[in-house]
Amino acid sequence: MDKILIVDNVCKEYPGRSAVSNISFEVKKGSIHGFLGPNGAGKSTTMKMISGLMPVTSGEITLFGEKISYTNILLKNKLGLLPENPPLYMDMTVESYLRFVARLHQVKNISQQVDQVIDQLSLGAVKKRLIGNLSKGFKQRVGLAQAIVYDAPFLMLDEPTNGLDPQSVVELRDVIKKLSAHKTILFSSHILSEVEQLCDHITIIHQGRIKASGDIAQIHHKFRKGLVLKIGIGKGEKLPELDQFGKHEIAEFHSLAQEEQFRIVFEAEKDCRAEIGKFLIEQGSRLMTLQVESPELEDIFLHMTENK
Amino acid sequence: MIFALWKKEVDSYFSSPLAYVLIGLFSLITGIMFFNLLVTYSDGIQAIPQNMTQDISFVEEVVVRLFANINFLFLFFIPLITMRLFSEEKRLETLDLYWLAPVKDWQLVLAKGLAAATLIISLLLMTLVYPLIIWGVGVQDFTLLGTAYASLFLNACAYIALGLFCSSISGNQIIAALLSILGIMFLWMITWGGHLNSNYILSEIFTYIGITSHFEKILRGLVGTQDLIYYVTFIFMFGFLTVKSLGRRNW
Repeated sequence: MDKILIVDNVCKEYPGRSAVSNISFEVKKGSIHGFLGPNGAGKSTTMKMISGLMPVTSGEITLFGEKISYTNILLKNKLGLLPENPPLYMDMTVESYLRFVARLHQVKNISQQVDQVIDQLSLGAVKKRLIGNLSKGFKQRVGLAQAIVYDAPFLMLDEPTNGLDPQSVVELRDVIKKLSAHKTILFSSHILSEVEQLCDHITIIHQGRIKASGDIAQIHHKFRKGLVLKIGIGKGEKLPELDQFGKHEIAEFHSLAQEEQFRIVFEAEKDCRAEIGKFLIEQGSRLMTLQVESPELEDIFLHMTENK
Repeated sequence: MIFALWKKEVDSYFSSPLAYVLIGLFSLITGIMFFNLLVTYSDGIQAIPQNMTQDISFVEEVVVRLFANINFLFLFFIPLITMRLFSEEKRLETLDLYWLAPVKDWQLVLAKGLAAATLIISLLLMTLVYPLIIWGVGVQDFTLLGTAYASLFLNACAYIALGLFCSSISGNQIIAALLSILGIMFLWMITWGGHLNSNYILSEIFTYIGITSHFEKILRGLVGTQDLIYYVTFIFMFGFLTVKSLGRRNW
């Protein structure tokens, strides 16, 4: 089975407002799929619907080939969820909490599984401490531990690094990266750099609608207007007039922060590095850099989520 | 599964100060009540002629009154015990943990109910010292004590079922507790309605629906099938309503 999750034309409506409208996307087996959108875009609502915690108004969600519903017991051990607010009991110790969750999911070898997860998430030092006394970073890790303690093959993490200090963010990302070796992960975030670092596929949601979904490289490709070149010339030199370079139409021209660097966006995608390099040298410029730039995910995201 | 859920709840009760405060307060208040009833009884005995002492029943004057007073205490103690069971989980969004696990709603409701009943048993265990004193005084009728405890326990279970339901419909513990207190008071008032109504059929219906008549009968050792049916029906009905209330939270 190539696609673990299929969200097909799903709507969620509350009286007087629509939370998500006709969203469709798929998550491939073994991928880390980024679910990207600004706050209030509908990420958490979608995740709750996928996990069966909230009903869909219309449409269908299929997970592991089974239709999602609140009563579908078959799916309950296959899906691990770290919600935005992890379901933690502050009066329990880390170890007893994880044992409890493992028991709820009828894990056979509870001690072994809990020890393994404690090791995996480096919770050994705090395993006898009450969850209520832990730092936010550790609480988030315990939240992640409860989602993986029963070894669900599909994990959904709702903004897992939100509110953590930089050190905890880096550590948690490493853990997620390691987990992805044998799990499929749907990872929501509004931090673009994070999604770029972790995910190979993304879905962008804005105001309850899907703006793009698929392979990051393909989305980059789709939203590239034309060839983007970054050009650097010798210090103190002026860039020759590009009007004389008539072979390819130039769509945009930007001077960058460093005086001798420029970004040129061409109308066409055709690689014209050789021609423009030759042109600049003929005009007497010392060509220092000439490289193709991919559009940043941030540019794509901002382009899609700007209110029109 | 139910055992794991029950154990978690019981651990949670006894890891917080609430259980100890309740047990301490309950023991103190019932101790004062018992002492007062004993003093009143012995004063009464001494104030009347010797040949009339058997007219004052120890069981009626002390045992029945003590257990009726404990029942009154439950009006406040049980809502305090049940208020957090679902409303706190709703507030902290921890119920998701169960909905994502192969746990059925009725298992969760039953486990939480049993955990609350366990705490009530702990409270009642504290009162076992009074039967010892009563036995020392010379009252040998332990059948009556058995039914008195049974009546209290059955009442407590009914209040727990009501409290669980109130907790399941509110995300605020205080509101859940207030609803439970009002609910229990309503159950008592229905019985008064039965006493005040001149229509025989309505009076009988009110008396049957109210909890007090059943409690008083069992307390005095008159255990009838209809009383047991009343308690079983009451507990099942509110258990069922709680399960339904949880099931319709989002669906």
